[in-house]
Amino acid sequence: MKKFEILEHTADLKIRAFGKTKKELFLNMLLGMTESQKPEIKESQKIKREIKIKSLDIETLLVDFLSEVLYLTQVNREIYNDIKFTKFTETELEGELIGQKIERFGEDIKGVTYHGLNIYQRKDRIWEATVLFDV
Amino acid sequence: MISKKDFKKINDYLWEIPRSFRYDMRVPARIYLSERMLESTFQDRSVGQLINIATLPGIIKYSLAMPDIHEGYGFPIGGVAAMNMTDGVISPGGVGYDINCGVRLLKSEHPEKEIGPHLDKLATEIQNQVPSGLGKGRKIKLGADEVNKILEQGIPFLVKKGYGANKDVENCESEGSLEQADASTVSDRAKNRGRGQVGTLGSGNHFVEIQKVEEIFDEKVAETFGLFKDQIVVMIHTGSRGLGHQIATDYIKTMMQAMVKYEIRLPDRELAACPINSFEGKNYLAAMAAGANYAWANRHMIAHYVRESWKKILGEKEELELLYDVAHNIAKVEEHEVNGEKIKLIVHRKGATRAFPPGHPEVPERYRKVGQPVLIPGTMGTASYVLVGTEKSREAWYTVCHGAGRTMSRRAATRKFPGNEVVRNLEAKGIIVKCHSFRGIAEEAPLAYKDVHNVVEIVDKAGLAKKVAKLIPLAVIKGE
Repeated sequence: MKKFEILEHTADLKIRAFGKTKKELFLNMLLGMTESQKPEIKESQKIKREIKIKSLDIETLLVDFLSEVLYLTQVNREIYNDIKFTKFTETELEGELIGQKIERFGEDIKGVTYHGLNIYQRKDRIWEATVLFDV
Repeated sequence: MISKKDFKKINDYLWEIPRSFRYDMRVPARIYLSERMLESTFQDRSVGQLINIATLPGIIKYSLAMPDIHEGYGFPIGGVAAMNMTDGVISPGGVGYDINCGVRLLKSEHPEKEIGPHLDKLATEIQNQVPSGLGKGRKIKLGADEVNKILEQGIPFLVKKGYGANKDVENCESEGSLEQADASTVSDRAKNRGRGQVGTLGSGNHFVEIQKVEEIFDEKVAETFGLFKDQIVVMIHTGSRGLGHQIATDYIKTMMQAMVKYEIRLPDRELAACPINSFEGKNYLAAMAAGANYAWANRHMIAHYVRESWKKILGEKEELELLYDVAHNIAKVEEHEVNGEKIKLIVHRKGATRAFPPGHPEVPERYRKVGQPVLIPGTMGTASYVLVGTEKSREAWYTVCHGAGRTMSRRAATRKFPGNEVVRNLEAKGIIVKCHSFRGIAEEAPLAYKDVHNVVEIVDKAGLAKKVAKLIPLAVIKGE
């Protein structure tokens, strides 16, 4: 199973992610966003960040989660490639992001949009989501 | 499925979808396009988005799109909508994530032949002095207090601190400062993202370009603007960086939740909107204004670094005067005449530029007789334009396009145009390219965009603005 793929969109960045569970879906979308920022890793030492989000529903939870991660990457100059969830419901998540400090980003993501937002479970039980990012 | 037959032709350059097309439209939808270009707009969802805007509460007359229309989120890029201030809504999607992304033009006193030999050194120095902000370069470290002053005062605050002069205030749209700005409506998150980014360029389609005036279309206006053939000029295109993006993110989320209590239901989630007079609406207007002031401060500081670079290479006496600075992602409170009456409207311009006519009080006095300078940045390696506002543009709330408009996704462009080839093609044309990554360049390949000449031609023929000068790039700088 692919973790994520980049789709066609005229002006922005569209990522579709997959997961056997919703948690894995969220992680894989995070990985897609991270890779799209083209980070240059500064040092391999692992860093950890707490994250806590509350939203209206699972779809806005995904966008709000990604927005918070984007904020943390830019302000702390880090990227994250894993997350350990301590809480995960349709409207709330809590966890610890794991990542590294970066030297620079190759691409700037301006924002995570709610455009065409869609999370659903396919017939083969795989969860799928599509998110549009403003670049 | 929308098709050409759903459009009514108003004239060769203006097409309308009537209100009857869909039950929830409050006004018709209009696009400025040639017949030939009309076909290409069906390739993405831009027309559907234009129809969605026509459903917004309080919208006056029509939803509008400029010839560089393409799909965005919520509003199409090139979308314009004016709402009345009493029961109208304000929508962050109608401004965009990059609040006050815009462009300014600096004029040198020299023709190309005098600057030519120094071009490479100038481009290198500018690249050194103006970081993209994605890398290490932190030019100015601002205290929390100074960030708030920039948010509320914009360019005048920086002039007071000794950067630039009064002309930099006078020759900027809204004098580089929107009075509704209120720093307390901007989240700490946004301020944190913005603190280290003043004077940075960003990436994507942002740039600094050394250009020359290749052609003058209107001698009289060009003279008033201080432009002459072969003149060397510098164009800066960037926005409000992480601060603006965070303001947009914060308020889209706030409004999406608040819409429920105002019983506003819209066809697209990204069209989150609240009444202008609501708590959320007022706060967004104030925060957006703060973001706009930040973007103007940003372009002002980049201009400062460009001037420093210029002086370093060419000598201390060298001047680069600001022609004008325009925003193309913004919502403005403006007075317009509707049915014979002057009323205040909120005009959303997303990927669209204001173009005030001759005589308008908001045009700087030195240009008032001829009209507002309008700057249209072209794609890399093609051309940019200087236009002037006209009275006819009143039918579009005095608005024109903002650029060329993309036709190809960034991904497709990267696949189709290897970055190093794009650079080679530009260099073959004699254009110096200073960039950090080839991939970023590939996404901006000229063929991934509509033809800027076409877009500007339509604006000119439709009478929305008049061409004054065509500028071609000599050096493109994409930041460190």
